Amino acid sequence: MAAEKRPALLALTSSALLLPAYQGVRADAAPEFIELGMRYSKYEEDNTQGSKTFGGSSQRYDIDAAQFHLLAPVADNWAVAVDVQWEDMSGASPWFVGASLDGSPKVIMSGASIEDTRTEVSVTTRYYYDRGNAGFNYVRSDEDDYDSNAIALDGSFNSADGMTTYSGAISTSRDDIEPTQGSVPTNTLKNDKDISSAWIGVSRIISKNAIVRFGLAYTYREGFLTDPYKKNDKRPDERNEWAVSAGYRQYFLWPDGALQADYRYFDDDWGVASHTLNLAWHQNLWRDTQLIPFMRYYSQGEADFFANIADTDKRYYADDYRLSSFGAVTVGLRVRQQIGNWAISAVGERYETDESWGVYSGAESPALVNYWRYSFGLDYVFR
Amino acid sequence: MNQVPLFDHDFRAMGGPCRLRFACADDALAARVIAAAETEIRRLEQKYSRYLPDSLVSTINRAAGADAVPIDDETAGLLGFADTLWQQSDGLFDLTAGILRRAWDFKSGRLPAQAAIDCLLPLIGWQRVQWDASSIRLPAAGMEIDFGGCVKEYACDSVAAVLARHGIERGLVDLAGDMAVAGAGSAAQPWPVGIRHPRQSGAAIATFSLAAGSLASSGDYERFMVVDGRRYGHILNPLTGWPVQGLAAVSIAAPQCLVAGGSATIAMLKPEGEALAWLAELGLPWFAVDSAMECHGEFGER
Repeated sequence: MAAEKRPALLALTSSALLLPAYQGVRADAAPEFIELGMRYSKYEEDNTQGSKTFGGSSQRYDIDAAQFHLLAPVADNWAVAVDVQWEDMSGASPWFVGASLDGSPKVIMSGASIEDTRTEVSVTTRYYYDRGNAGFNYVRSDEDDYDSNAIALDGSFNSADGMTTYSGAISTSRDDIEPTQGSVPTNTLKNDKDISSAWIGVSRIISKNAIVRFGLAYTYREGFLTDPYKKNDKRPDERNEWAVSAGYRQYFLWPDGALQADYRYFDDDWGVASHTLNLAWHQNLWRDTQLIPFMRYYSQGEADFFANIADTDKRYYADDYRLSSFGAVTVGLRVRQQIGNWAISAVGERYETDESWGVYSGAESPALVNYWRYSFGLDYVFR
Repeated sequence: MNQVPLFDHDFRAMGGPCRLRFACADDALAARVIAAAETEIRRLEQKYSRYLPDSLVSTINRAAGADAVPIDDETAGLLGFADTLWQQSDGLFDLTAGILRRAWDFKSGRLPAQAAIDCLLPLIGWQRVQWDASSIRLPAAGMEIDFGGCVKEYACDSVAAVLARHGIERGLVDLAGDMAVAGAGSAAQPWPVGIRHPRQSGAAIATFSLAAGSLASSGDYERFMVVDGRRYGHILNPLTGWPVQGLAAVSIAAPQCLVAGGSATIAMLKPEGEALAWLAELGLPWFAVDSAMECHGEFGER
């Protein structure tokens, strides 16, 4: 084949490629085959450093998760997806932070190992129409101490030239909290919260090889938002959250790979703000292998009512490290191998956090956590 | 090397012989592939055939001089491609030129009266057609469009995509000589294909190995008549209404059969010398036979 494209050929090819037969598997085409997937993941938190705890257990959380996925076409334009996830959680979590003799904050763990299992079932039906698709999703999650029921509606619509896609989603959930009694005194015996959120986004193909997207999200939480197991925790019963995001993806003919960059800014009325930057490189190797190294940077500013040594006379207070100022870096690698109708994928990632890595100033929580996560999956398409 | 069984399925569609060949280890899947491939060809035939009264093309032609007819993205895409062919051929490829068929009866062995051609010429002119992404209107009653020069080639690509979507690693779609490869497995085992001799029906003038992409051929041999020792082929100049004195046959390889076929058609519409220069400039592998049966081009072994 000629290396360079002459004007006539360029004109013919570029007008031909607009036709549907050359769009590959159309984005808005309903799936044609049944797909089955299984995934096993392991999440392992590092033990808290001895110097940051008051004796006792320094062991933290481990989660083993098994996931099952089924996607089935039910009619020309309809598909149903069922996802089931089982999680087995064990370990201890930070109970509260106290001051040591030298004044430095140290964490007191919840002591006895917590054992819990969670089962989540998600059912999605999706309708595909000429210029987009729309989905309805129901999720139920069951734990010993927490039940959640959520529904969501989403839709996308492509512009006439197929270059721009508008999407939106709304969701609502009702969560019931009934903390397990025994290991630590709890902040409530039975309570609940409601979460509603809305999202709008637009993505646009800006050249043959590049796409940009923007998104805007709002979440409203209401109810018992306090952590039931933490000793020094009392939070407002409302939270308004906003997030704006932008993403860019570009494919490079050489070396047959794609760069993906995403940024998200988050802000809420508790005073928490954060920046998230995701970078990934999708490298195609030979015909059926993909290698995806990725990196995520996260920086959060603390909530107005966060303090390592909580002042429990105040209206609201929390020593939860998740509301503190910190920076975190995740580095990982995902590998995907296609073998006929099978696909094997594996992910390994390391998450490390430190107060000094963030762009926001604040007191460093002694309970900040580092973790490893691994996952192995197998997918099959019934062609 | 490759022990996967090869399926070979012949059928007729779009007015010609069609053949699907593909490697597939599973009989049930092969049956589904064949059914899906035939369904796709029939879908395009029922939409774009000018012989079927219910087709979209017949609807558009019936509405000539009257209402605009709504069209979908696929049809708009084909019109856009036809528009590019019209521009790139300086008006020689014209979707509205098929009406000249009424004056030219190649079976009769008689040349048409110039008056008959003169009656039809005012009904030809792609530049007068009003169309956009959602509708088309032929401005004068009696005008017609005919996707004859694009749809079979497009169908080739579309059926190859159907095979690929079913996971076929090595396949060849052959719609009356226009061919498209499905799956990357053909790179290891290319398909040997013959290029028809323009003057000897059933004989190959050249052979070619097709490893990827597609091959489209066009020739003056489908319909012609010889009057007073002079050969008149069915490829007509829409500006004069008379057959072009061009190449006898052209074959082009391209990633898309639609591009290969469109380019071959442009080459056939041009005078011989201009056509060879245009092919040399095009940037795709090509093979051509001129009226003296001389072979030209970059591929093909005799």
